[in-house]
Amino acid sequence: MLPSELLAVWKRKGEIMPRYAKLSNENLEVANALIDAYKEHIGEKKKALKILATDLEDKGHEYRFIRALALLLNRRSIFISDSKVNPSDLRKKIFHTTEKIGIPTTKDQRQRILENVASEMALTSETVEKYMYADLDAELILEKLAPLSASELLEEYNLSLTQTLLFDSTELSFTTSGNWQRIFFSIKRLGLIYEVYQDNGICVRINGPASLFKLTKRYGIQTAKLLPIILANPKWTISAKILWKYTNEICNFKIESQKHSSLLKKPNTPTLKYDSTAEEKFASQFQALNSGWILKREPEPILAGKQVIIPDFSLEKSGIKVYLEIMGFWTETYLTRKIEKLKQIDEKMLLIVNEALACEKLAALKNKTQLNLIFYHNNIPLASILHYLQAAFNDLKTKEIELLKDLQIKFTEPIIAYDEFAARIGISTEAVKAVLATNPPSGYVAMNNNLVSTEKLMQINEKIEERMQKRGKLLLPEATKIVEAEGANDTSNILSALKYKITWRGINSEQAEISKTGK
Amino acid sequence: MLRLWFDKGTLLLKGEVGTPYGKWDPRTESYRIKSSHYKDVLDYLGESNLQFEDAVPKLPPLEQLKSNVELRNYQTEALNSWQRAGNRGVLVLPTAAGKTFIALKAIEILKTQTLIIVPTLDLIDQWRKRIRECLNIEAGAIGGGENTQRMVTVSTYDSAYLQAAQLGNRFMFLVFDEVHHLASPGYMQIGEMYIAPNRMGLTATYERSDERHSLLPQLIGGPVYFIGIKELAGKHLSPYTYEKLLVELTPEEQQIYGAEMGFFKNYLQEKKIILRSPADFQKFIMTTGKDKRARQALLARNHAVKVALNSESKLHLLAEKLEDFKNERVLIFTLHNELVYTISRRFLIPAVTYQTPRDERREILANFGNGTYKAIVTSQVLDEGVDVPEASVGIVLSGTGSTREYVQRLGRLLRKVEGKTAKIVEIISKETIEVAISHRRRPKTPKTTEAP
Repeated sequence: MLPSELLAVWKRKGEIMPRYAKLSNENLEVANALIDAYKEHIGEKKKALKILATDLEDKGHEYRFIRALALLLNRRSIFISDSKVNPSDLRKKIFHTTEKIGIPTTKDQRQRILENVASEMALTSETVEKYMYADLDAELILEKLAPLSASELLEEYNLSLTQTLLFDSTELSFTTSGNWQRIFFSIKRLGLIYEVYQDNGICVRINGPASLFKLTKRYGIQTAKLLPIILANPKWTISAKILWKYTNEICNFKIESQKHSSLLKKPNTPTLKYDSTAEEKFASQFQALNSGWILKREPEPILAGKQVIIPDFSLEKSGIKVYLEIMGFWTETYLTRKIEKLKQIDEKMLLIVNEALACEKLAALKNKTQLNLIFYHNNIPLASILHYLQAAFNDLKTKEIELLKDLQIKFTEPIIAYDEFAARIGISTEAVKAVLATNPPSGYVAMNNNLVSTEKLMQINEKIEERMQKRGKLLLPEATKIVEAEGANDTSNILSALKYKITWRGINSEQAEISKTGK
Repeated sequence: MLRLWFDKGTLLLKGEVGTPYGKWDPRTESYRIKSSHYKDVLDYLGESNLQFEDAVPKLPPLEQLKSNVELRNYQTEALNSWQRAGNRGVLVLPTAAGKTFIALKAIEILKTQTLIIVPTLDLIDQWRKRIRECLNIEAGAIGGGENTQRMVTVSTYDSAYLQAAQLGNRFMFLVFDEVHHLASPGYMQIGEMYIAPNRMGLTATYERSDERHSLLPQLIGGPVYFIGIKELAGKHLSPYTYEKLLVELTPEEQQIYGAEMGFFKNYLQEKKIILRSPADFQKFIMTTGKDKRARQALLARNHAVKVALNSESKLHLLAEKLEDFKNERVLIFTLHNELVYTISRRFLIPAVTYQTPRDERREILANFGNGTYKAIVTSQVLDEGVDVPEASVGIVLSGTGSTREYVQRLGRLLRKVEGKTAKIVEIISKETIEVAISHRRRPKTPKTTEAP
């Protein structure tokens, strides 16, 4: 974050954008020059560094850019006082001596006082003068600069620039790809208020309590503090309304990861830690089951009225998604709030509740069909969970089968893969297979994973016969080539549909031979 | 049942009805109300005979006060007018007229949880000392790393603003010392985010050069009492004389000044820029971010101003004056820290700036008070309300064009001491824009004043 006078922006037709420093050769050179100069100035006074920056400005570089870089370097530097005596004590001595002798109005009088002090403190009068104000900021000595590269400095500059612009924001909206728990925790901790809405995923809009009464920049600082937590994700879009103080107009600011990610410093994100050992244990045990359900930690938030819930896990299979929340420990207020939220959700949710802590409050949730409560004692009951998942899955499959049966589908393509078709209409592959494979539409034959038209089968047949006539016999690998050249797969099923048989010689498929069964 | 509570600097009302003061907040599905309307909402709900739960105030415990505050006549008058205005409003009194005592008396009368808001950390110390002496209780403090909340608590404007979301429901009486600060865009929100219905503003200079003081009445009430420096001078404050001394720049300085100022003026002329008001100047500064030549022109001007402010001739004259006032207690003011340190090094006298360590500053002021130090030099930091031990001579070496600053600097010297005539000397470089600034600064008083 920078002082506002160093904020450089482009502003045009209501749009505002910080003047980001591209990682161009020219900018990298400037940054490098400054870093090198700092290294060379180790052991020198802070005011010398200021002169150094002024020199670069005089060479025609944008002064705000240079000053901001210098400021960021100062923050990474350690400055010390080199005085051998405590300057504050030294001053006291000088001022008291002045009072004894009288305020000096000539050079000689002044020298007399300095020498008086010097002899008393076993110094020379020059060192007395030198150390008198050695503790002033400008007089401090550069001791050390924490190492960083030119590109890191530029990225930090760009991040600081963005945060400084956000000081003047009245609200901020974003979408992002993860880190939700930390984000919402921070929003709360910073005293901000969020609103969420669905727009190709979860969008969050942030401002503060008093934003209701008037446009206010009061929450700008807190908003700027939230920024790095969002930027830590690989994907994001951020937009904000900036109240530009010089013209008193509202400007739009927008950045997105695709375009701007490479410019901005990415803060380190700590790896996700589990809230409780129960969660951690569950995750590893569930994954070991290889159930076909994909387990995801801290999935996207789900809407609960005006608020959000970030469930512990999501479980996904064939387009069906179940959320899972482990409730191990709670306080009274936590539970009340949680129940209030859970009552409002639309998604399927499995609540795994510690039996020891169960109470009648939970009864409020029993009539909610989306919710399913499973109690546990010591260990999280994997079997009950799987049972529920299977039931949910079967339930869905049955519904889909009903739906599919009612559909009058006309196919025109020669080959229809079940999974592609399922994805196209948004139901499970299992349901598609259940309907189409058991009762294929006329003109089609059902294979293991697709439907093949009889017309296509005839074409394959012709090719095979042609080849057999030429060669006398046909081996399995050649037959497979022909089938695949026609865009089909599942050779053995196609061959049996065409009334061929495969004669195996040993287990080597290279030697398996194809022949027509009885006419 | 209806429930009213405090949420991050605002009030929330949940239930079947709203109030004329609130606004429906779709984000939280409840009515949100500015904290400053707390009493209005209570009145409305009470008069409507509605049952409601008031979970708003979280007040520190009350303590027993033993007050020994005796007010002077004009102080009593001031307090009465404030009470007649419904315990709201601003009292305008010159520095050293005892504003603190009026506020302490009000606390004694109201006997309620009070937050006193002050501009600097020094003032926190000072108020706490006064509260200990006059009310016989320890005051809490918020700011400068401290955070203790008690029945009477003193906070900086910064902390009161930044922590409004946590502090807004803890006090029923707010005292704003140097209340003109409250009118700045950020601090204004202190007025909106605290529930306290009783509010008192104190200042020596109600008006701000940016006219924002017109915003104060809606936050704490309008000015309810005014007494000027003339009415008090001689009787309660010491008389003073004012003298303005013009010095010529040295030939070398004149040359630099002329060249740099010339460059600046040429640029303005060439670009047809006319600078009439501070706002014009602000706009011009904006352009220097984009235009390198504008920036060069600005730098040239700044250099010229600096040369004039730091003129060697002024230091010569200062040396003469220090010789003249050898037996007096002299306070030297200048706006620029660099000049403060130049003077401190040259004359080997103590300096007080924002960079002075807190302990050292306390020590310097104490020694100046008891007469150990006869002269100190300082920049703006002493400007507001800090009890500087009485000085008999003030020397102003540079200044800005705002009325407030001048009055308060003046006030600093005018602590009541029997039979004392204070002197104010201003040293200005001739033929520079400093003369213009100096004029602007004293529009309401004649050039040289001999007080009764």
